[in-house]
Amino acid sequence: MSTVRYGQYLRDVSLIAQSISYNMLAPKIARDPSGAIIPHVAPPVKLQGLDVYRLLKNYTQGRFIEQLKAVAPLAIYLMLFQLLILNQVIQDSWSITFGLFGVIIGLMLFMEGLMLGLMPFGETIGNLLPKRSSLPGVLTIAFLLGVGVTFAEPAIGALKTAGQIVSVEKAPYLYTLLNDWSDVLVLVVGGGVGLAAVLGTLRFIYDWSLKPMIYGSLAPGLLLTLYALTDPELEKILGLAWDCGAVTTGPVTVPLVLSLGIGIASSAGKGSSKLSGFGIVTLASIFPVVGVMLLAIYVKATVPVEAILAAAKSASQVGGALPWYETSPGVDIVLGFRAILPLVLFLLLVLKVMLKEKVKNAGMVAYGIGLTIAGMCIFNLGLTYGLSSLGSQTGGILPAAFMKIPVVETSPLYMYILGLAIALTFAWILGFGATLAEPALNALGATVENLTQGVFKKSLLINAVSLGVAFGIAIGLAKVIFEIRLAYLLVPSYILGLVLTYFSTEEFVNIGWDSAGVTTGPITVPLVLSMGLGVGGAVGVVEGFGILSAASICPILSVLITGLLVRIKTGRAAKALAAEQAQQNA
Amino acid sequence: MSTEKRSITFLTDVRLITCIVQRGLGDTIVQAARDAGAQGATVYFAKGSGVRERLGMLGVAVEVEKEVVNIVVATEQLDTVFDHVFLVGQLDTPGMGFMYVTPLEKAATYIPHELVKQLQQKSAESAK
Repeated sequence: MSTVRYGQYLRDVSLIAQSISYNMLAPKIARDPSGAIIPHVAPPVKLQGLDVYRLLKNYTQGRFIEQLKAVAPLAIYLMLFQLLILNQVIQDSWSITFGLFGVIIGLMLFMEGLMLGLMPFGETIGNLLPKRSSLPGVLTIAFLLGVGVTFAEPAIGALKTAGQIVSVEKAPYLYTLLNDWSDVLVLVVGGGVGLAAVLGTLRFIYDWSLKPMIYGSLAPGLLLTLYALTDPELEKILGLAWDCGAVTTGPVTVPLVLSLGIGIASSAGKGSSKLSGFGIVTLASIFPVVGVMLLAIYVKATVPVEAILAAAKSASQVGGALPWYETSPGVDIVLGFRAILPLVLFLLLVLKVMLKEKVKNAGMVAYGIGLTIAGMCIFNLGLTYGLSSLGSQTGGILPAAFMKIPVVETSPLYMYILGLAIALTFAWILGFGATLAEPALNALGATVENLTQGVFKKSLLINAVSLGVAFGIAIGLAKVIFEIRLAYLLVPSYILGLVLTYFSTEEFVNIGWDSAGVTTGPITVPLVLSMGLGVGGAVGVVEGFGILSAASICPILSVLITGLLVRIKTGRAAKALAAEQAQQNA
Repeated sequence: MSTEKRSITFLTDVRLITCIVQRGLGDTIVQAARDAGAQGATVYFAKGSGVRERLGMLGVAVEVEKEVVNIVVATEQLDTVFDHVFLVGQLDTPGMGFMYVTPLEKAATYIPHELVKQLQQKSAESAK
């Protein structure tokens, strides 16, 4: 009687198993006459349809879901709020859905392209530049790179979109900055980021403390804000100026500038400081504010109001016959190319001309750059039709909860106080949810927990930042609704921030000020910007900027305060422990 | 307790299944192995190359970064786990990964105390 193992039997009936000797597959190696091996080149693999499908599915699925997770909850929240609380049908729901889909696809392609195409450039340059160039040369490149990445930042496009909604009669200078001067505006913001990159790099090399830099850069910012308060026209651009800081620190700027800075620091032999990597984000969000205010003062001094009004009038008259590249969707695609190509050309030029280095993995890099450009174009399209459209729609009817606005016939929907509370709660939850979902915050949380040896828990940081942003956005919305003067909000909070900075340790200063930057990603920024402008338009105020800037300072305060509390608590615990030990010893 | 001698129980008839897949797919492999009866798995990160360079354009779809999944199984389980992991991981697709089995001489880990006693009694009985 023969026996068969049950497992073997199962295997035989469910799976066709066969074995082949590996010897039959291994290639025969040819040798040249001297007996040396001729390098073997493996032939390309022939792929079948199913293989291609499986490979691509595996490649795209995870990346798609990652972006879907960031976009979908916010979009669904906005739509549900509009449907259930405000009882309003979502207009253009199809184009918004397609737009949101475009945002997801666009971000997915863009991030993948960034990893494959642009990041290797940044790292190579960061590693090689200090060895082959003097310090001033290195700093010049860092500066130019800062300018270039600002143009490539997806959220910058949202600023330009926002400019189209501003009324020229009510805020002529704001209008002209966002329309006629929009390229100069981005250039100035870029200059600020560039300067931040330079100082950040110097900080890497010389191990400077962040505190004096914060004092030094905030002082002119606050002084200029106070100066702008004296001029009713200048005051209207304050919201834009402070919001610009939040816009700059997105998914392109932070990693690219960081990879350059860390590369430089490590080849200078100073890379291992545990705080290296922090600080640049902070500076990159303060300098542009100062730059934009200076630009506004310059424009105010040189261009009279009448000229702006006349130009806007003539622009609106020819508005019917704009060429294809100045109307959507043409303009979105043009903007996509214009954002990425200069940056790529600049990086290529530095690599080829200054460093005389070949591009490693050229095919892969080209593929990555192609993806980046395609992603940027699709993202821009999605921004116009999806995120911005949804944000301004919800923003436009949000005031219907507490006041009478022409769009909604049955408004006000609720009693004044209740409606106002609903609107502010809506903003609060929006801020909290959007921040919790931000992937950069999760990464920062993990870093911080490591840095502080677990004293500052990851969840604690995430909660502190999210709460800060939530209150920030709610306060910002209140600012737009009640036309609170932004300076009255920002100046005291930043001064409080400075006081807290003075009392905090270097670590928490770095963490706290940087956490403001990571919270404002490519999804939050357009959504909040367009929502603010929508609310502003519906309530009838001059400008709806400023929400983002409030959403920037509040997390700084909340993290710094949490840091101080944690320190006091651990200090007490350590003291108690020491006392206990002393008792035991005695 | 202090009078009792400390003891160690070896496990024999063990095999090691090693499965190398792209970064991010290790969890599906571990889950498949558990579904097929494996008790646990160890995962570590590595870099690998091979088919990726021969795929042409599609090479970009394959991660260079890999996860190496180590699964220790009993000889009786070996084929079930091996086949299941292979099928779930779709290792018959180029670039999806590689797996192999290594014989292990012995292993030791936590084994529930009463289980050890039970098995010892059984083997003692069969020896009689």
